Amino acid sequence: MKHLKPINNKALKLEQAADENRIEEVVAMNSVAGCASTTDPGWEIDAFGGVSSLCQPMEADLYGCSDPCWWPAQVPDMMSTYPDWNKDAQASNDSWRNLGTVFPDDK
Amino acid sequence: MKRTLRLSMTSGLLAVAACLALHPEQSQARDAQTILKETCQGCHTPEGENALSRISHQRKTPEGWLMSIARMQTMHNLQISDEDRRTVVKYLADTQGLAPSETDGVRYALERRLNTVEQFDDQTKQMCGRCHSGARVALQRRPAQEWERLVNFHLGQWPSLEYQALARDRDWFDIARKDMVPLLAKRYPLDTQAWKDWQKNMPKAEAMVGQWSFSGHMPGKGELGGIMTVSANGTDQFKVAVDGQYADGSPFKGEGSAILYSGYEWRGNVTVDGVNMRQVFAAKGGELKGRMFDKAHDERGLDFVAAKQGTKQLLAVQPGYLKAGSEGEVTLIGSGLEGKPSFGKGVEVVEVLEQTPERLRVKLKAAADAAPGVRAVSVGALKGVNLAVYRDIAEVKVVPAFSVARIGEGGGSTPKVQGRFDAEAWGKGTDGKPYRIGVFPAQWKVEAFDERAKEDEDVKYAGTMQADSGVFTPGDAGPNPQRKMSTNNAGNLKVIAAVDDAGKSHTGEGQMIVTVQRWNNPPIP
Repeated sequence: MKHLKPINNKALKLEQAADENRIEEVVAMNSVAGCASTTDPGWEIDAFGGVSSLCQPMEADLYGCSDPCWWPAQVPDMMSTYPDWNKDAQASNDSWRNLGTVFPDDK
Repeated sequence: MKRTLRLSMTSGLLAVAACLALHPEQSQARDAQTILKETCQGCHTPEGENALSRISHQRKTPEGWLMSIARMQTMHNLQISDEDRRTVVKYLADTQGLAPSETDGVRYALERRLNTVEQFDDQTKQMCGRCHSGARVALQRRPAQEWERLVNFHLGQWPSLEYQALARDRDWFDIARKDMVPLLAKRYPLDTQAWKDWQKNMPKAEAMVGQWSFSGHMPGKGELGGIMTVSANGTDQFKVAVDGQYADGSPFKGEGSAILYSGYEWRGNVTVDGVNMRQVFAAKGGELKGRMFDKAHDERGLDFVAAKQGTKQLLAVQPGYLKAGSEGEVTLIGSGLEGKPSFGKGVEVVEVLEQTPERLRVKLKAAADAAPGVRAVSVGALKGVNLAVYRDIAEVKVVPAFSVARIGEGGGSTPKVQGRFDAEAWGKGTDGKPYRIGVFPAQWKVEAFDERAKEDEDVKYAGTMQADSGVFTPGDAGPNPQRKMSTNNAGNLKVIAAVDDAGKSHTGEGQMIVTVQRWNNPPIP
């Protein structure tokens, strides 16, 4: 981290937490079945075990998650598996209601 | 000549096309071997003795096989009917399933207990469990080569995984291949004595037919009991009827069907009060145990245990506690309940109100000087359940202590995932050690978990707690223009339960994260 300087509050908090070795505690707490503990910045829970440092509203940058397979177990990845997931929702902030769930259940 | 040939070729092609077009409408069911040969063998190479590449080198639960086939559908455009998919899942779960002991400790994933905090070593947690549950891994069996292929597949399908947190700080691929593959092959190998033995001794599905006495507990609603009637409806398939009632007298009645996989994995669909409830139970020597939940809202469910009629088992005491110096009614649930009930030192049976082999309702009196603590309950020679006698409540615990709810609906496709809580009272025994008294009625509320949550007004936006039931319904999905930066209705909340005991209020606290929805929601999280 020595070559990176935090430029906003979120980054500053993260740096402080890393300095205090608190990140791993948070990761352990976040091992809830089926939730991602990849906290950059996190899908369900942020690096501090809360929600205020998540990237929300997530609709504002949802395809920034789905395009590069960030949290593929929660968000359908559009790079490899579900390229057409957003065909009816080109702008996620406006048309997120058109996004469907993806598991092919019995009809 | 040329023209005739062309014509005959054309008509031949037309006939083939017609056959292909008609094929999906053919109602004749194909057996699993035929489907594997005609459909799966298109990609999977035959290896002799009915074996196919990849498929024949793995063992999984029914849900695991369903997810593999679903993956073939989404990733490789496999065309398969629901009926054929069910046939293959059944066949593979029976012939390449998991032994009961191989699912021990990770059944929470099958039972959709999604607030379970998983217990795996750090390496497994970080290498596998940071995206999906560790249970998804632990419910598979493969040799080293197949685990390695799984690693390769992950990196090929989701190449950015190496750049994510808990991967970019290490040589992920190297650790995955050199550490995780041998570890998983050793921990979850394809060939095990447990599966060999189980295949030999698997009980017959007919053993499921008959009547089952059941006991359950639904957070937010209370305890229940009743009879489940199972009748045969084809090979390993059953008709199911449940007829019971909650402690508050409301009925729990429904009908449906079930399938038995791998000789013990019971999966039912029963409609209760218009709600399609899924049964995920493990059958074991006259006992069925697991969870029954709303299929569309799996957080709404009940712990379920049942004893087969004809066996002798004591399943539950409802409620499982009594205050010293008071009188109260308790119900024992089981099968073959015969003989005199006994509730231990300081607890007297005042009157037997009802006694059938499945249900024994008694009026009890706990002496004013009865020692606080847990007593073993017996009926004749049957044991296995406890009654707690308490004087004071020492502590109230919110269960689950840490949980995740999700915003949903609001016009979108994903359901809201509620928070559902129990207030568990604990006492202090004469030895000074804490003991569980049981679940008490409570008054519920939520508060901001920390300063940040207070500042962001999470309580106002994240959802509503029902004060008398402990059921929290999250807010709508989508950006909320009323919030700062239009953020989602997420929140970090304290869940507070207040239990009243003879005018004295005891409170307990838990934490609930109200977070965003998930669109990828397979049966194993």
